Amino acid sequence: MTDQSKLVLSDVKEGAELPPITMPITLHRLVMEAGANRDFSFIHHDKDVAKSTGAPDVYANTFFLMGLFERQLREWIGVAGKIKKIGPMQMMTFNCVGDVLQLTGKVVGVAEDGTISIEQVIESERGVTTKAQAKVQLS
Amino acid sequence: MTESGWGKWGSWEETESLVGKQIGVSRGGDAIELGAIRRWLEPKQMDCALHYDRSAAKAAGYRDVIAPATMAFTAGLAPYWSPGDPPAKSGDPGKQIDLPVIFSVPAPCNLSFATSVEIEFFEPMYVGDRITCTSILASLFRKTLKVGDGAFLRQEDTYTNQNDVVVAVANLDIFRFVAPEGAGT
Repeated sequence: MTDQSKLVLSDVKEGAELPPITMPITLHRLVMEAGANRDFSFIHHDKDVAKSTGAPDVYANTFFLMGLFERQLREWIGVAGKIKKIGPMQMMTFNCVGDVLQLTGKVVGVAEDGTISIEQVIESERGVTTKAQAKVQLS
Repeated sequence: MTESGWGKWGSWEETESLVGKQIGVSRGGDAIELGAIRRWLEPKQMDCALHYDRSAAKAAGYRDVIAPATMAFTAGLAPYWSPGDPPAKSGDPGKQIDLPVIFSVPAPCNLSFATSVEIEFFEPMYVGDRITCTSILASLFRKTLKVGDGAFLRQEDTYTNQNDVVVAVANLDIFRFVAPEGAGT
């Protein structure tokens, strides 16, 4: 986001779409993520353990998914905006190694005080894997 | 039913006795630092000057670089090992993330999965802030699902900085359960 967003509240309309993000999930990325976010649950880096719990493979954790949603919000609102809330975030199925995640988002409400309600979705070859609601604020 | 598996074993009466009560406090292992933020941004490929450029952060109205908001989850995690702790022995299981709603709350359940998480932000986290996470068992709702008999438990986490200012509040919903007899789990 070196090229900072200049989004202003008056430009935001219900139905507007946030810039999409594509994120390939690799074991390398998940190991890097675990080291950074300090969630060392085996299901997020050990294939045998992940499979023993019913998952097809090692899968991304909550912190990573939350972080991706935050990234999409921030890239849209720019440095002047404020992120007020993310969630409820619901995980419908796994985001596994080998999957390519597609994040999309759209505006579902604009309040007079500048609070913007957003719905965000992660999809992959498995269909819709994760959904979240969010609130951001522009002055 | 079996006590082996995932989570602290106990009765539903024990679980219910903890509703509304504090079930855990964890003090972040480190103050928030630029290097930790950089490593957090890296796998997500997140580029926002608020998180690495002091002048950009100040121009946006902050007194210093701020951490990404959802980094609160990480900033409030206690160390996995500290000086004075015993050394690991061969065969010790690796330490995993300590979720009080699973590992400190007794329940007649040996399996669990997260169903929902939300986090609301109140104040920015600055470089140098030391974050503490205080968890309470906010609610318990008994339910039988296809996967088994159990309950939805909500862990409410309040993240505060070194000045006891609330920076974020998160709710984590977990379904803890025991699989039906013969389910092979």
